[in-house]
Amino acid sequence: MKNVILFTIDTLRKDVLGCYNPDSKLTPFLNSLQHKCIRFTNMQSIGPYTQASFPGILTSSYYFDWGRQKKCPPQRKLISEVLKNKGITTAAIHSNPYVSEFFGWKRGWDFFYDSMEDEVTDEVPYVRGDEINRKVDEWLSSHIQGENYHRFFLWLHYMDVHEPYVPKRKYVDMIDSSIDLSSEQMFDLFKTTLLKRDVSDRGKVELLKKLYFAHVLEVDGYAQGFFEILKKYNLLDESVIIITSDHGDEFGEHGGLSHDGKFYSELINMPFLIYQSARDKGEVCDTLISNIDIPPTVVYLFGIEAVDDFKGHSVLPVTHYPEKGCFGEAVDKRSAHEKETDKPTYYYHDGKFKIIYREGMDSWEMYDVEKDPAEKNNIVDSSSLAEKMKEALRPRIRRWVN
Amino acid sequence: MKEYTVTEARAKEIKERIEKSKQIMRETFEKFSPCECAVTWTGGKDSTTNLWIIRQVCVEDNLALPHVITIDEGDAFTEIVDVLINVSKKWGIDLKWLCNFDVLRACLSKLGYKVQVRDLNERNRSELKRIGFAEDSFTFEAESFAGNHLMKTVPLNMFIEKNNIKALFMAVRWDEHPARKDDKYFEEKESGKLQPPHTRVSPILHFTERDIWDNTHLHKLPYCPLYELGYRSLGVRSTTNPMEIGVPAWEQDLENTVERAGRRQDKEKAMDRLRKLGYM
Repeated sequence: MKNVILFTIDTLRKDVLGCYNPDSKLTPFLNSLQHKCIRFTNMQSIGPYTQASFPGILTSSYYFDWGRQKKCPPQRKLISEVLKNKGITTAAIHSNPYVSEFFGWKRGWDFFYDSMEDEVTDEVPYVRGDEINRKVDEWLSSHIQGENYHRFFLWLHYMDVHEPYVPKRKYVDMIDSSIDLSSEQMFDLFKTTLLKRDVSDRGKVELLKKLYFAHVLEVDGYAQGFFEILKKYNLLDESVIIITSDHGDEFGEHGGLSHDGKFYSELINMPFLIYQSARDKGEVCDTLISNIDIPPTVVYLFGIEAVDDFKGHSVLPVTHYPEKGCFGEAVDKRSAHEKETDKPTYYYHDGKFKIIYREGMDSWEMYDVEKDPAEKNNIVDSSSLAEKMKEALRPRIRRWVN
Repeated sequence: MKEYTVTEARAKEIKERIEKSKQIMRETFEKFSPCECAVTWTGGKDSTTNLWIIRQVCVEDNLALPHVITIDEGDAFTEIVDVLINVSKKWGIDLKWLCNFDVLRACLSKLGYKVQVRDLNERNRSELKRIGFAEDSFTFEAESFAGNHLMKTVPLNMFIEKNNIKALFMAVRWDEHPARKDDKYFEEKESGKLQPPHTRVSPILHFTERDIWDNTHLHKLPYCPLYELGYRSLGVRSTTNPMEIGVPAWEQDLENTVERAGRRQDKEKAMDRLRKLGYM
């Protein structure tokens, strides 16, 4: 039985990874792992931001399953709780406040670090990836003593590509050395443009995107550092590593910035890789899957019986995965601040088409994602399949009373 | 409850700790007159120790005692209030009770009450504006973003401004919290958006939790009875819990457990991170 490592990178768009987009040169290290990976090309997130997405990743449940709660409700069963009950050691090392102890995500972890006691700055309001690696190293050195250590489930999560985008100079230079901005100016761009979701100046949006790319380069280096640590403890052969993100980021594709309550591909198409050192070649899987399937996959990898509370299905073995559509839900906010009065929004994706319902506007959108991957052409009024798609999504709407 | 014993060797160490603190205090009084200084006192074990040492310095050096202040967030333990009142009487302290009464009035002194911003006075409204709080209402909780600012920061700032305070004695310790480990005895707070300029002085930084209890018992300092019930660190009532119920703080494993574990992880911290990440 191998250890399982869930390695998530916040706000990482699928199309910045070279293994998904050959034009991208931002992730040389992650690309170099491909011959040892199953690469899934069609993974959808159940939510376009952390709070809406992590219920899938860590609890295999949807965001609104127990109403619109800010904290992780006790009814959600965390993968850590399931595994700890089975005698597997569990550790979480991250720096995202939305999945911190305060919001109720500490349950079931033998070791839980959320960085909330550390000092951070306005420009880097999280603990960087290299420090996350250091914590991982520290935890491993205390956990692994000789060969007879307890099998473990480790979840680590980087925040470095999340706004504000204030990358170090060397990464900016690697993207575009003509960008002549001080840290203050980059931070100012965050405040005056990104926070205001102001896409009126195309040049500024492009600039923001380049700064974001610089952080992607940075994170690829941290990923390499993490793999070196695993190597040091001889864990690469002893572990299965799942690599994914919680949501993407928008740079004006649908009129906004950052990651608000929308379900377009730039926000919910996810990278998803399963690294197994014993593979002799890489594999590609085009099955439509969802990040709600992650906890059942982890359970499968540990050889534990399936958990009834989990709503997803193990993506392994790929031949056993049921054909099903993907759902997701979020609060339909279109600014940095979520208001209590903001209404929910939902989507359903069947592999070819995606339908989105916005309750606040009582509006439907439907896209042919094969022919129109940029999702610019709303066909809900013209498609003969629209009614069928609506019927698939309707049972999920208004499952709770605010 | 077992009898508390302090060995002679420990008593000597405690004496050295106190001397170090006195030296920091004397350095402060060389720069500022006592009437330009204020001591924060919560009624908890650390600030009581701090105040007890400052009083000694003032007696020994024939100085007036600085202002002694406490901030009432509207959610204090009765047992803590009793300590403040009784010890003030015993030690002859003219305790300044800082409280944002306007907010308490607007929320009918009820935790969880939804305060309408329009019901607040002008100063409080402008304070909310200053910190970028744009909602029409907020829930009265000590640790909410708006509540924390109005109940803690605003009364303290007003006191500092009104009395022309230059130095503020705090009772933080290096070992109470990982975030404190690099704190300095003297910290200049420059004039900023959210505070008037002043110097923060932390004379008991080097005391450990064990030092505090040894000193408290050795010199028979008054302490809040909640510590006997198992509380290790006292914050506001609604978010503080005992660590080991029924085991006095000093009989717990001080060296290997986290002193502030009984306090709910600070909501303010989580909110601050989210704001910095662009979510508020």
